[in-house]
Amino acid sequence: MASVTLEHVKKIYDNKVVAVQDFNLEIKDKEFVVFVGPSGCGKSTTLRMIAGLEDISEGILKIGDRVVNDVEPKDRDIAMVFQNYALYPHITVYENLAFSLRIRKEKQEDVHRKVVQAAEILGIMEYLGRKPKALSGGQRQRVAIGRAIVREPAVFLMDEPLSNLDAKLRNQMRAEIILLRRRLDTTFVYVTHDQTEAMTLGDRIVIMKDGFIRQVGTPHEVFDKPKNLFVAGFIGSPQMNFFDAQLTRQGDSYSLATHGIQMELDAERAALLRENQVDTMKVILGVRPEHAVIRFEDHENAIPCTLNVNEMMGSELHLHVSITDDQTAILRMPTIDLTEEKRRKLTAGSPLYFSFASKVVQLFDPETEDSLLFK
Amino acid sequence: MAHKFARFFISLPGRLVRGLLTLVSWIGAFFKKIGSEIADIVQTFVHGDWKTRVSYVVMGFGSFARGQYLRGILFFLFQLVFNLYILFFGGSYLAKLGTLGTVQTTTKNRVTTYGDNSFLILLYGILTIFFIIAFIYTWRVNIKQNKISEQILKSGKKLQSAKDDLGAMADSQFHKTLLALPMLGIFMFTVLPIIFMVLVAFTNYDYSHQPPGKLFTWVGLSNFKTMLSVGGANFGSTFSQVLLWTLIWAFFATFLNYFLGMMVAIMINKRGIKLKKMWRTILVMTIAIPQFVSLLYVSKMFAADGLINTYLLKWGWIDKALPFWTDGTWARITIIVINIWIGIPYLMLIATGISMNIPADLYESARIDGANAMQTYAKITLPYMLFVTGPYLLTSFIGNINNFNVIFLLSGGGPLSMELAGNAGYTDLLITWLYKMTVNDTNYKLAAVIGIIVFIITAVINLTVYNLIPSVRNEEDFQ
Amino acid sequence: MAKEDRIPEVDIVVDHKAGVIREVHPPHKLRSRKGHERRVNASIYVVLTIISIIWLAPFVFLVLQSFRSYITENGGMVSYLIPKQFSLDNYRFLFQPESQYLRWYTNTLIIALFCAVIQTIMVLSVSYVLSRMRFRGRRFIMNMILVLGMFPGFLTMIALYFLLKQLGLTQQGAIPGLILIYVASSGMGYYISKGFFDTIPKSLDESARIDGATRFYVFKRIIMPLSKPIVIYTILMGFMGPWGDYVFASYVAFGKSESYNVAVGLFRWMNTRDLQGYFTRFCAGGVLVAIPITILFFILQRYYVEGVTGGAVKG
Repeated sequence: MASVTLEHVKKIYDNKVVAVQDFNLEIKDKEFVVFVGPSGCGKSTTLRMIAGLEDISEGILKIGDRVVNDVEPKDRDIAMVFQNYALYPHITVYENLAFSLRIRKEKQEDVHRKVVQAAEILGIMEYLGRKPKALSGGQRQRVAIGRAIVREPAVFLMDEPLSNLDAKLRNQMRAEIILLRRRLDTTFVYVTHDQTEAMTLGDRIVIMKDGFIRQVGTPHEVFDKPKNLFVAGFIGSPQMNFFDAQLTRQGDSYSLATHGIQMELDAERAALLRENQVDTMKVILGVRPEHAVIRFEDHENAIPCTLNVNEMMGSELHLHVSITDDQTAILRMPTIDLTEEKRRKLTAGSPLYFSFASKVVQLFDPETEDSLLFK
Repeated sequence: MAHKFARFFISLPGRLVRGLLTLVSWIGAFFKKIGSEIADIVQTFVHGDWKTRVSYVVMGFGSFARGQYLRGILFFLFQLVFNLYILFFGGSYLAKLGTLGTVQTTTKNRVTTYGDNSFLILLYGILTIFFIIAFIYTWRVNIKQNKISEQILKSGKKLQSAKDDLGAMADSQFHKTLLALPMLGIFMFTVLPIIFMVLVAFTNYDYSHQPPGKLFTWVGLSNFKTMLSVGGANFGSTFSQVLLWTLIWAFFATFLNYFLGMMVAIMINKRGIKLKKMWRTILVMTIAIPQFVSLLYVSKMFAADGLINTYLLKWGWIDKALPFWTDGTWARITIIVINIWIGIPYLMLIATGISMNIPADLYESARIDGANAMQTYAKITLPYMLFVTGPYLLTSFIGNINNFNVIFLLSGGGPLSMELAGNAGYTDLLITWLYKMTVNDTNYKLAAVIGIIVFIITAVINLTVYNLIPSVRNEEDFQ
Repeated sequence: MAKEDRIPEVDIVVDHKAGVIREVHPPHKLRSRKGHERRVNASIYVVLTIISIIWLAPFVFLVLQSFRSYITENGGMVSYLIPKQFSLDNYRFLFQPESQYLRWYTNTLIIALFCAVIQTIMVLSVSYVLSRMRFRGRRFIMNMILVLGMFPGFLTMIALYFLLKQLGLTQQGAIPGLILIYVASSGMGYYISKGFFDTIPKSLDESARIDGATRFYVFKRIIMPLSKPIVIYTILMGFMGPWGDYVFASYVAFGKSESYNVAVGLFRWMNTRDLQGYFTRFCAGGVLVAIPITILFFILQRYYVEGVTGGAVKG
């Protein structure tokens, strides 16, 4: 049970490639933090630095109150679950779980107790006598987690543990990890490229790109208050829609014009813009697909568009529309109140109109890509 | 394809220049490193405490004084051994390295007074130089450790004890533990002899200059001049002829075997052909049987009174024995043909293994597209094979340049010719010629020259071709 | 790979543009494809049979001629192939003390055994370190070995001979001397084994290190159990090597026939004593060497192919 602190941590490879830039983060004890970002953003590298598998080029890493920059992995009181599970193929599941305990020369009774305990938590009791190649992907996954549990570490590190599982299994395991977390009550540092995993699992999310941290926050914060274009586009599925727009300031109020509509911004938004001293300028407007109000007829402040593709997702439809030749958008419409008549109107080429409220609007500076609302 | 070759040759001068520039930049970096090391040595002295400063003269003192007894003792022992070595052994040899000995061995009245031994002088001289380099390096490590130890103590941490050091041998320093013996072996049995021989090429060590009876000495580049001179039936022209044949042989040996082997593999692998295992096993027998048995036997088969000639005569197909080994050109062709017999099974195995790895979907999509057998081979099988075996072809080519066994056991390098110096024969490769010069003529100096030239050829081929072969350049295309 | 040899009666053609699938009745040439394929296969069988005969012939002849007694018939080269009388005289000769054949055989056996063991230890050590560990000087070592390998092997022999002579490891003591030469630099042949080790995921090592294992523990308890094919391959290579070496063995044992290995001994029979009709005895000696090696090779053939294609070809 320990906190993890990274101060100005950098990772520079021999060929001068900087993989991680000036990473500052304080992970509180028992917190579940997720590093998320596209491939090559540095999240795995940072995790490996915490584990001790990569040297830290600059900066200080503390686990608890100890500076552990030069401490061997085995002395850092951590456990790690790898993407490809890293199970030892030539020994049984029981021995895999017992591996670290045997190295520390623990007594057989203790070893047995801890192994059985971990196996019970993960539901793998009946596999204890088998070898890894006789297990399915999901079962191997659990053994890998079991190995980490047995260590009773202060910090749990997980490197894209669900990436090798199929979609259904992934959903299932996500729930199990949440339960696991509750049961173990330890600090977790979790790396993934999947923003859904990040949003569902993390107490806080660290979004990274090209070695930099782009935002740190709770799932709610990064969803509703993205600090830059990248975070806004990365979080949320389907992706947020972006439009070019013109922001005009008139005294204390602001209005937004785009694609033929003009709307006043509400008081809250206006206050945020005033605080950040935003004046009349061109902006990038962001609206999430789920925040659009879609109608078949024109209405106030509605943008006309044409339906291209209609994806049936089950409980909702994803409507891919074009507004102009080069501006497209994705909108979401629940299917629950959809009558037959309306369904027939949703064919390729049908006209639609969508509008949105001021309170869901996100605004970004086209040059810096920073949010104009949340700094 | 042709324009690719043209581009290759045109780009050669550019490559050469770039290669040289890289070499120069390495040398520059090397000197820079030396400079910074020296600067660090001076700094450590200036800023170090008294224990460190004493360590400049008495190695290991600093470690010992700071409680790292094991390290201290080891350093000190090393220094002691080194000093004793130089004093009583190496020093004298090193001194004579410049002349390789001046005092002749004389025999008077059946009493032999041994003078200088050029061989031992060269050998131990080199050894001593290495020892000196090792000493300088160890001394440097000793200094560096002092500096690091000071820093560690200053920051309040503890130094590694002997127990820690020994533990590290199985962990963070495991590479040193595992590499110690192999590296020692390689050094004593490969590095040292090679450097020795390279230097011999610059001496006149041959039959008439053999220690301990005689001395040999430095002669600069004259051996190279002898070997590389042109005109007449001397070493120079012999050298170029042997070199030419070596390259021709390597070319045919490599590529003939490659394509024929692949064809055989494809034939056996073709669907509809039964008993695949049997065909493969029959061919693989050639690899299993030791080469000296099969090659020696086969060479006798082609002899003037051998099986082939005997039966051809019997059946009346010829009226006198075919000169397989006695005529230069016949011998060359025979060797290439017999080498096919040796080489195809290897290639067939490899080609089989690889073709099993070609993803089946490539073939399936070709079938759907309507490709026939020829097209499939040319567009899918061949490129994939070339890609995967590119490096193998390169090593194979170089291996054939040095293919001692096949030549020696089959033809002994013969037939000999009056036109070729140094007992070279028509089928001699550079290395079989080297062997003859060593064993038969005791002409070590020229043997060494040949060795160096073979090295240069190998190195040049490696460097230029390595970056060209598709596997290194177009990796992305295949993945 | 298709299991059926039969060609379907109709062709299925995908018309991408129209977005449909059409059936096309085969043109005339398709219907004769079956016959065409049969003809091709037949000619392949013929070629393969010829090849097999050519490849096997020398060995068949070798065995045949080993049965032609040097006492009752001619032990040298003659103009017929099948012995007039099948006799085991040649083989008996091999086992007589004056032939020294048994001595050579045991010599080679001893050398091969030592080589197999020591060489494997050396090669696997180097391959493991270069594959799994990163340290200063790693690139240097790999490049140095590459460069050293470009020198002809025999070049080192001259200096080594004198070195060994100083230590008394030539002629009389040629056996230990030869072993030393073979194994000392064997670390240079790490390439294939390293290729194999590279295929074992590093995450196994990392996971074990986090659990607290030392690198030695990882080497012994994790990597080695997973490396059976390459260990066997390396042992096999180490064992088979000395049987066929003429160059180094002849140089080191120069003059002392008790220290020859089989290659040198048989070579002498063939080339210097052939006038006295040692040919058939050479055949017999060759057969006795070939049989165990061939059997060994076949038993372990699959490890050989794994080793060669797995390591050398992947580069």
